[in-house]
Amino acid sequence: MIKLLTAGLAVAAVAAAAAQSPAIPGLDITVTKLERAASASLRDCPPGTNTVSAVTKPGEQFALVTVSFKVGPAFKPAPMKRPTVTDAADKSYFTPSQFVDVASMPEYSCTFPFRVPEGTKLKTLKIENASLDLAALDK
Amino acid sequence: MEIDRRAFIASLGGPAVVAMMDHEAKAEALEHYMEDKLDEMVAAQQPEKFPTVAEIEAQIETRPFRRGTGSVFTGQRGQNVKIITPMPAKPTLNDFFELRFAPANHVLQSATRAMKTGMSEEIILACLLHDCVLSLIKPDHGWWGAQLFEPYIPEKSAFAIRYHQTLRFYPDEEAGYEYPDQYYRIFGHDYQPPQYIADTYKMLKNHKWYMEPRLVTVNDLYAFDPNAKVSIEPFTDIIGRHFKQPKEGLGYDNSPSAHMWRTLARPDNPL
Repeated sequence: MIKLLTAGLAVAAVAAAAAQSPAIPGLDITVTKLERAASASLRDCPPGTNTVSAVTKPGEQFALVTVSFKVGPAFKPAPMKRPTVTDAADKSYFTPSQFVDVASMPEYSCTFPFRVPEGTKLKTLKIENASLDLAALDK
Repeated sequence: MEIDRRAFIASLGGPAVVAMMDHEAKAEALEHYMEDKLDEMVAAQQPEKFPTVAEIEAQIETRPFRRGTGSVFTGQRGQNVKIITPMPAKPTLNDFFELRFAPANHVLQSATRAMKTGMSEEIILACLLHDCVLSLIKPDHGWWGAQLFEPYIPEKSAFAIRYHQTLRFYPDEEAGYEYPDQYYRIFGHDYQPPQYIADTYKMLKNHKWYMEPRLVTVNDLYAFDPNAKVSIEPFTDIIGRHFKQPKEGLGYDNSPSAHMWRTLARPDNPL
């Protein structure tokens, strides 16, 4: 009886978590585009007009992941880690772009560059605890 | 092609101007705008051709000064130098920021980013000071910069300033540092750092303070924004806590780098 009750509570907790908005309360995150390029502008998020870029070496490319953000009243500003992406084999790749002043605008879009070997198929974008599917965009 | 309506209207002189245009003029203006945008997009897709080391060396005799000359000693874009404001009798770091390092946008942007991303005060200070010595001299600016500030700042900040120069040549994706395209432009795309830089990098990779100069490079990369609005004001407390301002004024305290401050103060002295 106790076991059943515990199991029931666990199911309820999972359902509640799933019903909550994403992993970052008050921050609505949507991946809008995934492109490949030989160079990438190095801009933070939200983006300014930094003029520095990076270029790829032979055999590499930049996967440019564009993400739109909507900041709601429930969002509590705090330093956020840089996003990462994983490929089909769960290998992680890092972006140099950092979150700076996330709550400074209600709505914006950022493009995060990831240096990957040419042809790498990406599976997931991770921003803090949020995990967003990239496979559908990476055709 | 997506058209940014507001940018298009602004390019014509604003809504009032557009309101006075007939349909044919508007259609023509739109066509020209789209042609220009298309040209920009095509140009952006062409990979930039970076110079070689040999091509950069070939430019040496085209200049009346050497590239390593500190900026207080040269005029802007080949023009004559101007009379500079004398320093106060007992100059402070803020005086040097205002009268010799100005406009200092790059270091202020770099330190602002370090502050906003929650880095330590030693790193914020290192970012604020990391390129100031370029007013005095450019080659080996990491070592010269550390030497200039070392008597007055925490050891970690001086370490970060000294070695950021080395780590600028070595990407570290996990730390968020990419090799910048501007280095292909200013050093040449086939540039190889000299042996002493390679040896210093080897030492740093295993150093317990590796991340101190690395974080300076990470912020360095993102501090070239011509539209960023920055000032030294937000750093007043950090300077107060970590910069040992000598009561005699910088340059007059007999520190090992006092002569460097005096040179910055009076760059027109012939001897």
